Amino acid sequence: MTELADHSTDYGVVAAEPPEVMARNLRIGAHLWASASAFFFAAFLFAYFYLRALDSTAVWRPKHVDPSLTLGTLAAVSLVAAAVLLRFAVADHRADRLNAWRFKGAIVLALLLAGVVLQIVEWSTQSFGPTDGPYASVYLGWTGLLSLFVVGLLYWVETTLATSFRYRNTRRGAPVPAGHASGDGDRSDPDIENPLSLIRSELEAVSFYATFLSGIGIVTWFVLYVL
Amino acid sequence: MNFRRLLGYNLLTAFVLGIVGFYVGWWLGHQFSGPSIAYFADTGQNDIALFLAYLVGLIGFLSGLGFASYPIQRLLGKPPSLREKETAGTGRYFTLCTDHKVVGMQYLIGIGAFIFVGGLNAMLIRFELLSPTKQTFNANNYLTIVGLHGTMMMGMMTSGILGPFANYFLPIMIGARRMAFPRIEALTFWLLMVAGVILMTTVGYGGFPTGWTGYAPLNDQANMGMDSYIVFFALVGLSMSLLGLNMIATVVTMRAPGMAWGRLPIFVWSVIATSVLMLLAAPVLISTLLMVALDRTAQTGFFNAQAGGSPYLYQNLFWIFGHPEVYILALPGMGILLEILPVFARKPLWGYRLAVTGMLGISLLSWLVWQHHLFVSGINADLRPFYMLSTELISLPTGFIFICALGTLWQGRIRFTVPMLFALAWLFNFLIGGLSGVFLSDVPSDVTTHGSFFSMAHFHYTIMGGLLFSFFAAIYFWVPKMTGYAINERFGKIHFWTMFIAFNSTFGPLLVIGFLGMPRRAVTYAGYLHGGNTWVSISAFFLGGSMLVFVGNFVWSQVFARVPVGANPWASKSIEWQLPSPVPVHNFDRIPTFGADPYPYGDGDGAGDSTAPRVVTAPARPRP
Repeated sequence: MTELADHSTDYGVVAAEPPEVMARNLRIGAHLWASASAFFFAAFLFAYFYLRALDSTAVWRPKHVDPSLTLGTLAAVSLVAAAVLLRFAVADHRADRLNAWRFKGAIVLALLLAGVVLQIVEWSTQSFGPTDGPYASVYLGWTGLLSLFVVGLLYWVETTLATSFRYRNTRRGAPVPAGHASGDGDRSDPDIENPLSLIRSELEAVSFYATFLSGIGIVTWFVLYVL
Repeated sequence: MNFRRLLGYNLLTAFVLGIVGFYVGWWLGHQFSGPSIAYFADTGQNDIALFLAYLVGLIGFLSGLGFASYPIQRLLGKPPSLREKETAGTGRYFTLCTDHKVVGMQYLIGIGAFIFVGGLNAMLIRFELLSPTKQTFNANNYLTIVGLHGTMMMGMMTSGILGPFANYFLPIMIGARRMAFPRIEALTFWLLMVAGVILMTTVGYGGFPTGWTGYAPLNDQANMGMDSYIVFFALVGLSMSLLGLNMIATVVTMRAPGMAWGRLPIFVWSVIATSVLMLLAAPVLISTLLMVALDRTAQTGFFNAQAGGSPYLYQNLFWIFGHPEVYILALPGMGILLEILPVFARKPLWGYRLAVTGMLGISLLSWLVWQHHLFVSGINADLRPFYMLSTELISLPTGFIFICALGTLWQGRIRFTVPMLFALAWLFNFLIGGLSGVFLSDVPSDVTTHGSFFSMAHFHYTIMGGLLFSFFAAIYFWVPKMTGYAINERFGKIHFWTMFIAFNSTFGPLLVIGFLGMPRRAVTYAGYLHGGNTWVSISAFFLGGSMLVFVGNFVWSQVFARVPVGANPWASKSIEWQLPSPVPVHNFDRIPTFGADPYPYGDGDGAGDSTAPRVVTAPARPRP
């Protein structure tokens, strides 16, 4: 034992951490994850310009390798619209218009899902495959992985929305019912004080990441469809 | 025995679900068909099946440990929570546990086991090279052994210091009770363990011929063993990225009151510098490996020159990750060195700000040097001077670290304990590694030494001589705090001296042999190099033997002949040494407030003092 800690101290001292700590974690975590994602897609951007400039066998982009601009634009627009709507949803939450945020959140889910579906439709209807040159390789790899990130975003939005819906009738500041501590089956009480207050922090974090990912979507659209 | 416990989330369940998942993925992979993957029928090689087998197996394994529970609960709308199974006894070491100290211990044993495997491969390599022509292993098997050694070591040691020691001590050093994202912390460990097992399964699929760099076009032409390499490194990359994210978030958001940036222990600064590289470089590796995977499955042409791709693209992308990776390995060692020296020199760290500048400078410059790996690959000649100079420039911030270390030692009351010996050896080894590196950064000399044992000896001096020696310094320094039991000092010194002498006896001559023309990754070599190689092999076996001394000492001291240590056996001023050994599950009864700089030595303290004046306990809560 020392003056700072003792083995006999009850484990309960770790219980019920103030939610502000996790709120800060979420905020910084979203920013850091965005920076990692940027480097992830930077590799595809590098590959695009490297192979395009090199074009060693003059097969960079044969004529029939022409993805649908319409579908690509719609997929990008759905991602951008979802990000914008999430920004409004955050404003609603801050203004205590909780039903409005939930409504917008549901639309965001639909938009993100639509974006992924549009991308799948595009892959299944396009006139070229992965073997049709370097452009086709970059196109399929980049759009495929972006779609995977969008699915991840969809999951994050869904969890935030689901918590908000599940506890829509719980009075503000009221404790979460016993047994609703998620994850650990051995734990009956939440280990964060008033965990429902974290919905706003989660919403702000996911909104930031959605804005970032929509930026990636715009770059993707410009490089792969316009350039 | 309570059999019901066997059915819960634990390692047994994880293995069962992992194996079931593997075969489900394998079966699913065989259901795919299409024009671009018709080649499977010709070669009998179904890469899609193996990738899916690994992926579904991974999901099964993690689900068996309990990682799927929280995401599903969140999907159903349950509120967020932080902790899992932190007080579940010995069983918490074998499953998902969110106590950062348990994760640190898991890392120490898990990574140690895989390093041992990598070391065994090194012994096999040196055994093969005892003879210039007679082969114990054929060329393919030899290349696989070389690849397994290099890949295992490079992959596992990326987290060699941050995994065990930063996970365990960083929250304590900043006065926190947990990491920012405890579940992610646990996930990084288990991802790494699965990755290690996957890499070892490469033997069952014919191995891989590329060494640890996985260069194209070999990576496209190789058999299914290459898939194991790809999945291994992708998982390592994911683990690294998440580990880096967690570390940075923890330091930014979880510092206790009074823990200003200028008061962070130097080890924490090294973790920050490393974590930035991990967070940003590892995603490039993952992207690159996914491109290779697409080339091997969907027949895309990223790196296939015939299809319009370029093997040089792979080299560029790999080294955009690969050179920061070198500093991911080196920086934590510098942090350990500068953390240990003040304790055993009984002096404040000399040039704290200079050391921080050095670490951040290395972190920044490491992004600007990658093309020196391509000097002989036909890069544009106009690019060479820039990369030559930027590479040589990085020796400046590295020099800062040396200056700070020497300044700390100057006129100190030095105690030659085992951790201190390993720290001092770091200075010697890394100096040779750095000086030999100058020859590789310089274009004219690189042309003659690239791809030779000179280059191999150079990076062993920096990575093994730097990282592994600091890894052992950290073990001897911190494990008594982690377990509560001392490590035998006498056997520790035997370990140190045998390792230090054998290490230099192995890699010093390799610099010469490489300069004389010994190529890397060649199973046969010219007769005039026989004598040198025999010397090196015998030294390497002694080096391997020194590891057995360590393992024996570690197991004996920690299991069979336990000698409890007090809270502060080294009379350190750092906060982790003001806590009981081992540290209680809650870390602190109350969150401390920090009131002074991190290394207040030389202010009248005696060698036996154990109470640090810099910490006062105060508020019961983390700062708002």
